[in-house]
Amino acid sequence: MNIGFIGLGLMGRPMVLNLRKAGFPVSVWARREASLAAVTAAGAVARASIAEVAAASDVVFSCVPDAPQVAEVAQAVADGAHDGLVFADMSTIAPAAARDIAAQLKSRGVSMLDAPVSGGETGAIAGTLTIMVGGEQAAFDTALPAFQAMGKSVTRVGESGAGQVTKACNQIVTGVGVAAVAEAFNFAQMSGVDPARVREALLGGFANSRILDNHGQRMIDRKFTPGFKAWMHQKDLRIVMEEAHAHGLALPAAAATAQLFNALVGRGMGEDDSVAMLKLFEAMSGGAA
Amino acid sequence: MKIGFIGLGDMGQSMARHLIGAGHELAVWARREASASALLAEGAAWCASPAELAARSELVITMVGGSADVDDLVLRSDGLLAGFAAGAAHVDMSTIAPATARQLAARYAERGIDWLDAPVSGGPKGALEATLAIMVGGDAATLARLQPVLAVLGSRIVHIGEAGAGQVAKACNQMIMVAAIEASAEALHLAAANGVDVAKVRTALMGGSAGSRVLEVMGERMVTGDFDKGVDARLHHKDFGLIMADAHALGAPLPIAAAVGQQLNALMARGGARQDTAALITVLDAMAPQDRRTTE
Repeated sequence: MNIGFIGLGLMGRPMVLNLRKAGFPVSVWARREASLAAVTAAGAVARASIAEVAAASDVVFSCVPDAPQVAEVAQAVADGAHDGLVFADMSTIAPAAARDIAAQLKSRGVSMLDAPVSGGETGAIAGTLTIMVGGEQAAFDTALPAFQAMGKSVTRVGESGAGQVTKACNQIVTGVGVAAVAEAFNFAQMSGVDPARVREALLGGFANSRILDNHGQRMIDRKFTPGFKAWMHQKDLRIVMEEAHAHGLALPAAAATAQLFNALVGRGMGEDDSVAMLKLFEAMSGGAA
Repeated sequence: MKIGFIGLGDMGQSMARHLIGAGHELAVWARREASASALLAEGAAWCASPAELAARSELVITMVGGSADVDDLVLRSDGLLAGFAAGAAHVDMSTIAPATARQLAARYAERGIDWLDAPVSGGPKGALEATLAIMVGGDAATLARLQPVLAVLGSRIVHIGEAGAGQVAKACNQMIMVAAIEASAEALHLAAANGVDVAKVRTALMGGSAGSRVLEVMGERMVTGDFDKGVDARLHHKDFGLIMADAHALGAPLPIAAAVGQQLNALMARGGARQDTAALITVLDAMAPQDRRTTE
């Protein structure tokens, strides 16, 4: 199977390297020459345009910042469309936007999957991403071997948009979870108890979670470098809250958490990892952020 | 003055009537000509497009739905921008995003046309009685020139700052008011959960530090369970969408507004879009056992 890949950023670059490692021929395109070097060195072939990437591929993947960029890539992919072409977008965008773009591509003969990921840069490098997929079963079956080269857990959740809905659920759980762990640790600290010991104790009970384990440890180590940048989590929660607003659906805990992310970004901690939430709570409790 | 008016809803009708009453030469345009029939009978002139309305007017006032509506009225091919002569003015009294207000002001400035964002508080009653509070953003000289016209519509006119500042003030107004409605609902809900007479609690509070216009008007509706009169909750829901987007863009934490916004979302889901916002108390009722509800 021939693969195309657009979006060679923090996530996209290691994903391409894993596709190459699994033996797939990969075509790429990027605006900046510098982005290409790392992947062409691993045998990826640079093409002159996104349409040329599409023409040379059975499945084109994209991993870009937000919906406008996905729409732009999709348009260019459609220009290189051929029978059976699948477009799998791995960016995090609004479910409604994913459905719109999929409908436009369908009219031009391209089957689109929305396939956002969880696991961050670490997961992208290790090839252990969780991939949540929405779209037609046949397209999913076509793309599956490539997904498996990039991720450990690959699930087709439902029709178009279902992958993005799942990612939104993921961001609610992780966003509220990070805030809960930071709040608990600040509470422990202010009560004169060592949060590291609290974490250890809690890992044995019902509060045990990946967030408590992984993010909790980084809070204790005061390691605030990303990881997953706070401004990106803020953006993802905006998508969630706008979707909830459009449906008239109450998400009280996510709404409160989104405000905490607003404060993080407003205080200039947007480039920190989301675990910087701890610093925000410390500042609110009289400490210095 | 030759004034054009667009937006003949509940509030717009009353406002247009006051302008005719004050002796201004009023012309109107509406999507459906039928919505203008009452005013045409009272002497207003009809224009076939926003551009035509702008061409005959020294001032056009708009009172419509939201950012997209105002944007469209101004920028469409037969829109206001296409019709205005230099030196004319557009005063938008709708509630829209501050950013949209700033963008439109800039577009007009290129052509020498004045702009004010002048959203109001006071509802249909304030429009009817010409006692609206008007929050103005834009050039101070423009406001000074148009002050006599705005004085026909409202009793308190405050210049907040540059273009968009009026809309920022309106957002602040909406945050405080709807949070107060939710606070009133929660207080009465606590009273009901204790088995205490909610009407008596409201009456008692009205005399003290918690007394407010919201507790008086919306509190009354909560006590009687009558949510038919007032302002559609869907409009506050729309406003909260704008406010929370602005908070996101600025990285400003608004924890209470965010929580209130979710109660509004729940009210929409329950089918309360066209009820008065006092119906927020029904969201609390839905979360409570039968014997603790104030309504139903």
